[in-house]
Amino acid sequence: MKKDIPVNVDTSLYVSESKIQSREIDGRYQRLRKIATIVLLGMYYLFPWLSWEGHQAVLFDLPARRFYVFGLTFWPQDFVFLAILLILAGLSLFFFTALAGRLWCGFACPQTVWTEVFIGMEQLFEGDRSARIRLDKSPWTREKILKRGSRHAAWLVFALWTGFTFVGFFTPIRDLGARVWPFEWGGWETFWVLFYSLATWGNAGVLREQVCKYMCPYARFQSAMFDRNTLIISYDAARGEARGPRKRGTLASVAERGRPLLDIETAESALLHAARHRSAASIAVDARVSTGLVDSWGRDESAGAALFARAASDRQELGDCIDCTLCVQVCPTGIDIRNGLQYECIACGACVDACNSVMDKVGYPRGLVRFTTQNALEGKATRILRPRILVYGFLLLAILVGWGVGVMLRSPLIVEVLHDRNALYRVAADGEIENGYGIKLVNKTAHAARYRVQVQGEAPVTLGDAALTVELPPEKVLSLPVTLRAAPGTVRGRVKVEFVVESLDEGKPVRVVEDAAFFGPVQ
Amino acid sequence: MSQATPPFEDHPPRPMVQRLGAIAWPSFFAAGVATMVFFAFVDPLALAEITFPNLAISRELGYTVGFFMFWLATASSSLFTWILLRPRSRFNRPLPKERN
Repeated sequence: MKKDIPVNVDTSLYVSESKIQSREIDGRYQRLRKIATIVLLGMYYLFPWLSWEGHQAVLFDLPARRFYVFGLTFWPQDFVFLAILLILAGLSLFFFTALAGRLWCGFACPQTVWTEVFIGMEQLFEGDRSARIRLDKSPWTREKILKRGSRHAAWLVFALWTGFTFVGFFTPIRDLGARVWPFEWGGWETFWVLFYSLATWGNAGVLREQVCKYMCPYARFQSAMFDRNTLIISYDAARGEARGPRKRGTLASVAERGRPLLDIETAESALLHAARHRSAASIAVDARVSTGLVDSWGRDESAGAALFARAASDRQELGDCIDCTLCVQVCPTGIDIRNGLQYECIACGACVDACNSVMDKVGYPRGLVRFTTQNALEGKATRILRPRILVYGFLLLAILVGWGVGVMLRSPLIVEVLHDRNALYRVAADGEIENGYGIKLVNKTAHAARYRVQVQGEAPVTLGDAALTVELPPEKVLSLPVTLRAAPGTVRGRVKVEFVVESLDEGKPVRVVEDAAFFGPVQ
Repeated sequence: MSQATPPFEDHPPRPMVQRLGAIAWPSFFAAGVATMVFFAFVDPLALAEITFPNLAISRELGYTVGFFMFWLATASSSLFTWILLRPRSRFNRPLPKERN
């Protein structure tokens, strides 16, 4: 039963990481990321300022226990719709992950989106990657203080604005803005603005990729949604190995000079060899050897070694990867995509853009690093419609339709009837039996409404002389004390009565029936 | 030109009993402490009155449900910590072979 647990935990790989200064790159995916950033953050910063039918378009009014989302108003009774909405969000995450990999991470996650903005500001004040690395190493000169200071000032302003906007989703933002000067915020408003600012500054400015690598649960379980038909960012080792530098224009691409693509075994072996015997360029960029190769660490790398040896003597054996390490330099999480699929990869596509730009420069075809599937890499067909896609897709669609129908068909009126707690019944001076109730009427619409309250049932119970007509202001709760009467001797014990509330307005008829009990003397 | 990288050493997975124990035991302990402190100030009957007045909940049931809810919360937290502390090699596996 006893098992030995080795105590010599390796120390070499668990050194604290050096700060990742990623290089800015332009390309199709980086432009898509910028568009996603502008759209998503645009919604975040703009929505609280919009108005809709006289109230803030998106407002989570906690004190009033009411959520406004454009034309929709959610009451505490609609809590189930919020829960379903969360389930929908989770399901769509599964669906899109199975289909196209970590789209969420690269293009939509607040962590990466805000990090983009913070890196952008850093770039603006401190220059590009090499300038920032120089600045990191330089002593505290006047220039460094100025650059660092202005960068932090910009971060601070942006973070404060973000925190202000956040609170603006919960308390009317125009009112909040008007109370900035002279300063009249409440204690909790101030606290949450500062707290969210600090969180933004810490997550997007300081922690960045560390959140994705060490704190994010999704990064840990997303691989469960992956299969060999999922879009991943991948390096085409069969085409790229053996990697190695060359003078520009002296060697055509493997396709042009007719070097066959490596078979999978040799390609993997070559990756292993390259990871074990890193080139000077690879060591310079200091990407930690990915453990993606760990399964194969004990495996034979002789085929790869032989390939690299042949390439050293005969350049015709070289693959298309020129080992420029640009794919590592642009990576926001600091990995080397050539080592294979890794959980650290957030699928932002920066390495794809970087590699394509290099391929353009050296005159090779694009796509050495590309969005593709494992099946496509291995020369097999990619199946898009597969059981997991169909199941996720069907569930997503069904719940989405159900949610939409449920929200649309919500009753605009809530009726609650509570019997008097103190006495089951009273006997009036004329001998009639009286029961007291409290009726709560909630008008969930944004318009005033008139309702008629009636009583029906088998027992001869009446609501005074006539039906009761009430006027409900928009989005108001009305508490209505009501007394029901029955003639002497007609009711024994407990009988069922029904309160019927009907709308008196033109348009969609609303009718709610609520059960209640009427009590009389037992004898 | 090329340089050998030190071989990668990875901590092998611990036995299942150890993993389960490391999650279940501290969370059990924390849940016990939380239950004692919570119910020292809150009577389960009073709590039942303001939450589910229609259900007949005895004190014993209240304590039991309370403890297991605390344990569920603390064990979930321990489980999450365990997932985050797993070495990255556990996650960086090649995609499974496709069944045909």
